[in-house]
Amino acid sequence: MTTASFVEVDDLQVVFRRGRQRVTALDGISLSIARGEAVGIVGESGSGKTTLARVLLGLEHATRGRAAVEGRSVADWLKRDRAAYRRRVQMVFQDPYGSLNPRLAVGEALAEVLRVHGLAPRAGERAAVAALLAAVGLDAAYAGRYPHEFSGGQRQRIGIARALATRPEVLIADEPVSALDVSVQAQVLNLLKDLQRERGLTLLLIAHDLAAVRYVCDRVVVMHRGRIVEQGPAEQVLQAPSHPYTQALLAAVPEV
Amino acid sequence: MKRLLQLGRAQPLAAVCLLIIACYAGLALFGELTYRWHEWRDTTPAYQQQDISRQYQPPSRDHWMGTDGLGRDVFLRLVQGTRIAFHVGIVTSCIAIPIGVLFGLLAGYFGGRIDDFIVWLYSTFAAIPGLLFILAIAMVAGKGLTGVYLGIGLTTWVGICRLVRAETMKHRERAYVQAARVLGFSAPRILARHILPNILHIVIVTFTLRFPASIGTEVFMSFLGLGVQGEPSWGLMLNSARTRLWQGVWWEMAFVTLAVFLLVLAFNVLGDRLRDALDPRLRDGGGPERN
Repeated sequence: MTTASFVEVDDLQVVFRRGRQRVTALDGISLSIARGEAVGIVGESGSGKTTLARVLLGLEHATRGRAAVEGRSVADWLKRDRAAYRRRVQMVFQDPYGSLNPRLAVGEALAEVLRVHGLAPRAGERAAVAALLAAVGLDAAYAGRYPHEFSGGQRQRIGIARALATRPEVLIADEPVSALDVSVQAQVLNLLKDLQRERGLTLLLIAHDLAAVRYVCDRVVVMHRGRIVEQGPAEQVLQAPSHPYTQALLAAVPEV
Repeated sequence: MKRLLQLGRAQPLAAVCLLIIACYAGLALFGELTYRWHEWRDTTPAYQQQDISRQYQPPSRDHWMGTDGLGRDVFLRLVQGTRIAFHVGIVTSCIAIPIGVLFGLLAGYFGGRIDDFIVWLYSTFAAIPGLLFILAIAMVAGKGLTGVYLGIGLTTWVGICRLVRAETMKHRERAYVQAARVLGFSAPRILARHILPNILHIVIVTFTLRFPASIGTEVFMSFLGLGVQGEPSWGLMLNSARTRLWQGVWWEMAFVTLAVFLLVLAFNVLGDRLRDALDPRLRDGGGPERN
């Protein structure tokens, strides 16, 4: 592994137990991501992409192996520096309808993050919320509205703003556009791409949409049944795939 | 006010029930004020004034609902009974709902050992026949309202706890709660600010359904002589009305029964309608539109 690796996953295995059944979601994967890199993780549903994200967020525990950020394991971060880790690593969820608390006004939801992490003085809270909304291309006047008053694309922007509120270094986006209309998908992807460049975010974009990944990411990791079958620069992998699964995945994309 | 009018048009039955409950609440408040006033002035209130020469008078212009065996006005006593009924409904809810909601949230959110313990606790409570348990607590706490409050309050949290636990388990897996966890919010914050507001409709519905149930239990306890002492509660009135019913003294029994029936019915219908209106799954056209 290179010394520059910022997010590192080493021989990670996650096994779920459902009664007597054992499901291996991740089967010993290793991955190294440099600071500021945008990496796309593609694969069909059930390939373990989301489990990988959940391990990095501490929502799931590794059965074997380890996941580390800045050289410290996730478990260690959460045990000793929980709040600091939460600020560092943030997530954009797939479902813009379910990931916002329906009973909280948008401005409130953003302000809560700032308050919990002590990131803005009381007096500057409104301005900070307005800045967050502006960063994702929303009007500050929307702060008083509730999630159900927004469209899917707008909600996903709010989800992104909420993740940015902690000023993270690593942003994990789990299928951020798959629940959106095709017409707004490009806008949200553009936003993610811009934010990643501007803020030097380390971005993990999980998707099954290969075009989205090619557009945003420098590097692509292809997963299949809990294993990494191929990885490399985005153009190379998507132009000339070497693994049969990647070839099949590419062949499945309808020509537009 | 505008919203009330809207409710009246959309849900006439619920609006009528709300109106009936409001009338009862008004009576209860009036009863409370007269009670306090007489206590302050240290006088005998009209509903306690005995006059044997007026006993067992049928309803008339002077006594709308007749008089009882000691010549006391049944209507005035009925109003005082309403006061007691609301006391019981409110105080027992203030005991049962916080316990049930707190335990339900903890069990549903944390799972594991905490869940095991709370499930064990409420299963134990639920395994004891309700009335027997209430009577036992009332015996220990002594006759009177305290016994009624504790008896009903400490036994009826089980149902709320179960509902809140199940709903919390469901919400724990929702994306907005996962998001809150990823954002580093503490468990108390997630429970109080994120999950509780989203399951509050259950608490409201449960309140409207358990309110009349607790009133019914109080009536029953007072009827058995374990409840209210000295004050005119509906249960005591029914008990005293029983003695002369066979001689044709129907009014006390009839009016008290009607009063209990109407209030319990109104609460139950309202609770039903509230459940329909507040439960997002039953809401027609509910749920956010996509995009």
